Amino acid sequence: MTVLIEQRRKEIDLDKLVQRDRVHRSVYTDPEIFEFEMERIWGKAWIYVGHESQVKEPGQYFTTTIARQPVVMTRHTDGKVYVLFNRCAHKGAELVGDTCGKIKEFLCCYHGWRFHLDGTLLSIPLEKGYDGSGFGREDPKSNMQRVPRFDSYRGFVFASLSKEGPDLKTWLGGVASSIDNMADRAPDGELEVTGGAFRYEHDSNWKFFVENLNDLMHPMVAHQSSSLTARIVGKKELPADKPLPSALEILSPFTESYTFFDDMGLHAFDYGHGYSGGKMSIHARYSDIPEYNARMEKAYGEERVKEIFSVNRHNTVFYPSATIKGAIQTMRVVRPIAVDKTIIESWTFRLKGAPDELLHRSILYCNLINSSANLVGPDDQEAYRRQQLGLETQGSDWITMHRDLDKDEDLGDGHTYARGSSDLAFRNQFRAWKAYMSEGGR
Amino acid sequence: MSSEADMKAFAFHHRVSQFLFHEARLLDEQRWSEWEQLFTEEGTYWAPATPGQPDPINHVSLIYENALLRKVRLARFGNPNAYSLQPFPRSSHMLSNVMIDAHDEKAGTVLVTSRFLMVEYRRDVNNFFAGEYVHDLIEEGGAFKIRQKKASLVDCDGTHPSSNIYF
Repeated sequence: MTVLIEQRRKEIDLDKLVQRDRVHRSVYTDPEIFEFEMERIWGKAWIYVGHESQVKEPGQYFTTTIARQPVVMTRHTDGKVYVLFNRCAHKGAELVGDTCGKIKEFLCCYHGWRFHLDGTLLSIPLEKGYDGSGFGREDPKSNMQRVPRFDSYRGFVFASLSKEGPDLKTWLGGVASSIDNMADRAPDGELEVTGGAFRYEHDSNWKFFVENLNDLMHPMVAHQSSSLTARIVGKKELPADKPLPSALEILSPFTESYTFFDDMGLHAFDYGHGYSGGKMSIHARYSDIPEYNARMEKAYGEERVKEIFSVNRHNTVFYPSATIKGAIQTMRVVRPIAVDKTIIESWTFRLKGAPDELLHRSILYCNLINSSANLVGPDDQEAYRRQQLGLETQGSDWITMHRDLDKDEDLGDGHTYARGSSDLAFRNQFRAWKAYMSEGGR
Repeated sequence: MSSEADMKAFAFHHRVSQFLFHEARLLDEQRWSEWEQLFTEEGTYWAPATPGQPDPINHVSLIYENALLRKVRLARFGNPNAYSLQPFPRSSHMLSNVMIDAHDEKAGTVLVTSRFLMVEYRRDVNNFFAGEYVHDLIEEGGAFKIRQKKASLVDCDGTHPSSNIYF
């Protein structure tokens, strides 16, 4: 089977699939290209694993996948965070089956091998049986294997299945500032995962979701039925002289004008990263929470707080696996399952030192926008699903990326800017896609 | 099962069950405005996202709606641009194991637990949802009103496909 796939891969002509202004439909529909992506993109890039606050104490663990491979993030007794393959060194069984928990050590359910939380072997029943066999605990293969590289940036833990490549800070480049701004919004300068998670099954290719986040030509169309309806119902039901409830503050901006979204702007960086918004976004006009502002000013001083709040980004994409909304402290994580199946996880964060109202608003946002059972997410998912089906037709092999082609503004240091309605984010992601997929690429 | 008290409890259980069946029927028959009327002004609909979730404020929920958000959702049902509702999903709710957990005759409040199985059908796919309902009811003028309907899916913290209608 491996041989067959290898033969097929030689036939994949990346220059034919991804051009500067268009992309071939098969990148969304061909299962073999998906397998190739798992190896070349998801097997090379820094993939978001979890947040350090999910493993606060030694013994705590959190499980997820990288390129469909089960991994476990742990906090060892040395206080450090590790990312290990969730696999017993003996016969391969997953060592933990729960999403998260706290243990003294890993104990394999099958033959009782035990490992420390940094992956080193602790004990094997009847270990003497291996004497003189050539297999023994001195062999590093007797440990749980660590993912080749893992590192964290302000608590956000990423890992790479590849030994080589840029370090995390270099790779994050211009979008590290989005993590900074999210953490700086905490009076204590730190974030904490809290409030639970959604796992939303999408019957569509992972790239549709990642592209959509900085596609600013869709909200006023795809979300008209929820956002415009919310405005109309609000107008009818609520007194005009009272402030809008948070729920309507959250839903209404999705149907702002094309000009509004154009002015938000798009910022693109190397490795497929980017964000929309900057000085303003759909999150910029939420009501003030006076107690929060007071605590921020006390922590940072008036000038610095102004600077922190002057940054108001919409979605930041850490291509290919993670996306955050710093201004509302939510995160969506991408987990590809198959060419037409993706799981999107949603997380909320507490700004440490901030009043609870901030967390409550993040949770409300997540309920209203990211839940599989709500009014906004299902219309996005419907669009991806229809793309997945539509691209199966032989109507045309191509998807256009022409909008505002060659009109990008080069801001230096690999930072490119365009107005919101541009296809910049789309083109930039495929530039990275092609670089990763190319032999010897990143 | 012959004392007057037993007969009264039996009759009350029947009334409560009929109310729950009626509520489910309104959902399945898409009689939204009648369904909306079953809630008190402050009434909430809550589908938690984790087992034993203590409240809808400090943890995400699949759905947590007050009267205003219910109005938004129901108004959206009639919107021609609600793409994930094309074609409009159909549902069938089955209820059983109806148990009255608390009944305060003086206050008119009833807490009733039941089990449900619901299928949502749309575009050749049946999605199944199962779990527990807790209805927090109050009697007003001889009729029950819902103070809270809590629908706890058995897999509330699991992976879910899109769903648009009420569990």
